Amino acid sequence: MTAHVTVRTRLLDQAVGQAMSALSAAAKKGLGDPALAELVMIRASQLNHCAFCLDMHLALARKQGVSEKQLDLLAAWEEAGDVFDERERAALALTEAVTVLTDGFVPDEVYERAAGHFDDVRLAHLVAVITAINNWNRVMVSRRIPPGGYTP
Amino acid sequence: MRTTNDETNDETRVEYAPETGPRLRWAQLAPDVYKAMIRLDAAARQGLDPTLYELVKIRASQINHCALCIDMHTKDALAAGERVERIVQLNAWEESRHFYTEKELAALELTEAVTVLTDGFVSDEVYERAAQHFEEVELAQLISAIAVINAWNRFGVTARMAPGHYQPGRNQSERHQPGRPT
Repeated sequence: MTAHVTVRTRLLDQAVGQAMSALSAAAKKGLGDPALAELVMIRASQLNHCAFCLDMHLALARKQGVSEKQLDLLAAWEEAGDVFDERERAALALTEAVTVLTDGFVPDEVYERAAGHFDDVRLAHLVAVITAINNWNRVMVSRRIPPGGYTP
Repeated sequence: MRTTNDETNDETRVEYAPETGPRLRWAQLAPDVYKAMIRLDAAARQGLDPTLYELVKIRASQINHCALCIDMHTKDALAAGERVERIVQLNAWEESRHFYTEKELAALELTEAVTVLTDGFVSDEVYERAAQHFEEVELAQLISAIAVINAWNRFGVTARMAPGHYQPGRNQSERHQPGRPT
């Protein structure tokens, strides 16, 4: 028996879609680390429960050569020992803080930790990657777009 | 940095806490990202009632605690002729429904659901209520527009952009870059 998921609407204004793609592209280019960008986008999609986005970015991460070990343990990265290096951990901590704004701000500690591993230009683009995937998460979850629609 | 203190006379002078500046001048550091955000903002608001969207922007900014965004969008709403009570009551709209239309209430409810995704999804109940008041194209735009104010909120909070300096009617390209020489 398969569960039936009803798409609410597939409508997404063309200009909006193009601008969102441009935002993601500019953010990823400026970060200059495609594998890290995928880790960040998967973690945000986990927090925001976006099935379409998880399916897409897990595929892209594998294509970028991100290890299965990292993908398996990403949801518990804080407890995952040396599976993630300090730079990745700083980026993931920032991802969580920027994604869960409703629980309050981005603490200095989290921000400074990221600033210790990324210069200002890279940090601005890392924030942009986190923001861009949050935007996609909202648009996909709200319209209930099912996973599986993306092939790298 | 100039504060509202400067506008009061000595007798009524109050010592406020010092203003903290931005942590990250993200728009200058990532100009292509900023340009994409401006383009996305313009695209997402097409077809939406500006009065309704301003309420949505204020409410999302309240939930996300974006001080700069609250400063900007409450001032924009007032400049556009919005009633003070409707802005003041936004933080308790569920208990002050008679200030808003049913369509605005459905939009505010959807705004909260789309903004707080981490607590789980956008319920059928909330989505259906919005779908009763917005036809499909407009609803798709509303969802995009809620996502966009959430994006501005993320930049505003993370970069810790200081509120208090926004003046409605300024050039769009300067809106999100307070502290920039003008």
